[in-house]
Amino acid sequence: MIAELEESLAATPYSLEPEARQRLMLEGLNALTAKHYERCLPYRRIIDGYWRGKTEFEEIGGAPYLPVSIFKTQIMQSVPDTEVRLTLTSSGTTGQAVSRIPLDAETSSIQQRALASSLRHVLGPDRLPMLVIDTDKVFKDPKMMSARGAGVLGLMRYGRTHSFALDASLEPDIKGIRQFLDQLEGRPFFMFGFTFLVWTSFYERLRDKGLDLSAGVLIHSGGWKKMAERAVSNAFFRTAFGDAFGLTKIHNFYGLVEQIGSIFLEGRGGLLYAPNFADVIVRDPRTLEPVPDGSTGLVQLLSLLPHSYPGHSILTEDLGVIERISDGADGWAGKGLRIEGRLPRSDLRGCSDVIAMAA
Amino acid sequence: MNLAEATDEALVERVKRMAGMAREPFLPAAIDLLSGMSRAILADSETKLVPQYVALAYWMRGAAVKKLAKAFLDTIPDGEILAPRGLAFHLPPTNVDTIFVYSWALSALAGNANVVRLPATLSPQAQSLLRVVSKTLADEQQAERNLFGTYDHGGETEREICRNVDLRIIWGGDAKVEKVSQIPIRPDGLTIGFPDRQSLTLISAAAYCSADDEARDDLAARLFNDAYWFDQMGCSSPRLIVWLGDNPECRDDLYNRLEAVIQQKSYIADPAVGMAKFGLANDFLAEGVAASARRYSNELQVAEVSQPKVALQRTTGGGFFGDAQILSLDEVRNFVSRKVQTITHFGFSHEELISLARSIAGVGGYRIVPVGEALQFGSTWDGVPLLSHMTRRIVVR
Repeated sequence: MIAELEESLAATPYSLEPEARQRLMLEGLNALTAKHYERCLPYRRIIDGYWRGKTEFEEIGGAPYLPVSIFKTQIMQSVPDTEVRLTLTSSGTTGQAVSRIPLDAETSSIQQRALASSLRHVLGPDRLPMLVIDTDKVFKDPKMMSARGAGVLGLMRYGRTHSFALDASLEPDIKGIRQFLDQLEGRPFFMFGFTFLVWTSFYERLRDKGLDLSAGVLIHSGGWKKMAERAVSNAFFRTAFGDAFGLTKIHNFYGLVEQIGSIFLEGRGGLLYAPNFADVIVRDPRTLEPVPDGSTGLVQLLSLLPHSYPGHSILTEDLGVIERISDGADGWAGKGLRIEGRLPRSDLRGCSDVIAMAA
Repeated sequence: MNLAEATDEALVERVKRMAGMAREPFLPAAIDLLSGMSRAILADSETKLVPQYVALAYWMRGAAVKKLAKAFLDTIPDGEILAPRGLAFHLPPTNVDTIFVYSWALSALAGNANVVRLPATLSPQAQSLLRVVSKTLADEQQAERNLFGTYDHGGETEREICRNVDLRIIWGGDAKVEKVSQIPIRPDGLTIGFPDRQSLTLISAAAYCSADDEARDDLAARLFNDAYWFDQMGCSSPRLIVWLGDNPECRDDLYNRLEAVIQQKSYIADPAVGMAKFGLANDFLAEGVAASARRYSNELQVAEVSQPKVALQRTTGGGFFGDAQILSLDEVRNFVSRKVQTITHFGFSHEELISLARSIAGVGGYRIVPVGEALQFGSTWDGVPLLSHMTRRIVVR
């Protein structure tokens, strides 16, 4: 593990204010860029051909970035095949290319440590009883096994005595939920689920059932597209859960499978904050130059976690805006990011009419 | 759904009635129809502003059409009398919104009655062209013999239409040609398919380097028109630029001038297209297809490729160029395939181009034309002399 990551993990989670973070991130990114340049041929070719072979930069904005699509089209790997323990794949609809992320033992353990440190920041030092807002079939039934199942399993590691709020057909198990709450007698607990399911299968079905979730911490993640279609914003989501269940400790998170373990957690102001070992830069979608804070642009994610593949600096196709810079006095240091959705797709039609054939 | 008739049944009935409406080729009425349409396009407040429609109008003007007719008629031996094929059925591509007129116009000139299947959705720009076309047909009282409409692909309506046609012209790529070709037309009918094609530009580095500023700017402007008019997605739009001889400074000079034209013409590529180009540039580098890549802007990205064949096969459109160099024109045949359609050129002698054509003749290539003429429609397209195919002959002895 690079020294800069060691140092960021040693600090209190989400505590590094911009200046200290910049220094660690810059040194860390330079170290990772040099390391991957050395060990990953496709990466070296890109650095040589697009970035003039430079691996050391004076500011993080100068560091090379890869398009997120490259993890779908190429095998980007900085360790020998024999050291790959697991290849993560992103969820994707049938026929679509998926990202393939090779993890070795070191990077897997780094990711778990990093994720644990982030989650402890909102869950506290002890593992809490956990209510999973999903069905246990999501990982028990191999036919249903998916990124969602993997996500649920990954997060379950950070709770104990798990209960599942939904049955196999994603109907709420109200009896089971009441049982789970009753035996806690007001002690804190942890809830996790995917945003859309949490809304449709939990909130919409149970809002008038008089459940008291005020001792709970809800962590949720997932795309906002379907939520936006229902005109549910993050602020509305928070208010609704507060009104219906007295639940106020709610943390959305944002991250890429390409930077798994590196999660931007929702903190003060409903904004997403980078952990100490990560950062974000927002770029103009047309010029790719960094934009001033407060302007919308393409989100570039930086993370010191990826050691077995060159995923430490990725230009996503998500649009976002940095709304706040914090010194960390409120427990959330660094840039406060809001995600505004995906860059709208565009289909240039070729001289091949395949699309029109179906129309 | 069809635009021309209330129901698909009525459309099919109408097509059947059109079967006997062909006329002698190159009648003055046909020439007047095209020149009238040419004037109408140039007079219409919307269509006259679209450069590709102006080019279409120019191609259809009376003098040009008469010249085209005469050149063709000169090739017909004595004792052979030209006749129309009969009923022609055009299936134009969805991306190039002038082909539906070019394809129809040649066939109308050849005396055929015509059915043109329009894409289900037309851009507002294409709608303005269709409006002018329809109005001219009505004004010239030719609407009965020329039907522009749409219906759902692949169903009974298409089958019924095809059963009645003597000539079917399918534009729009391999898959479409293959699929539509499975439906029978009249037993003595003829189908012409225009499949997927790729195009490239060939520049003599020596000629470019010795050209003055004016000539270089002019070349950049013509390259812009070739590449950007249809977002670089036409079969004839160049996606690879090949330099004969090495001169990196001149290459960079051309792309800087092209970038200036892009800005001057206010061409804007969607940021998603810009990202697709950035992605492809990274793919080319990662795979070793390209040794270097440069993003001049969101609208122009260039990858210096060592494998021109690969650069021809993969593209994003919207301003992505593979850039390759060769040391001898003989090398062109190494990356030309049957899929290669247009080679636009700058800085070569006629003799060099003829010898290039001979050298690639066995492998592919259909047009070798100056930079700036990539999209210029010609009556010989993809190697097919269209007027010959759109007519038949009666031998008289």
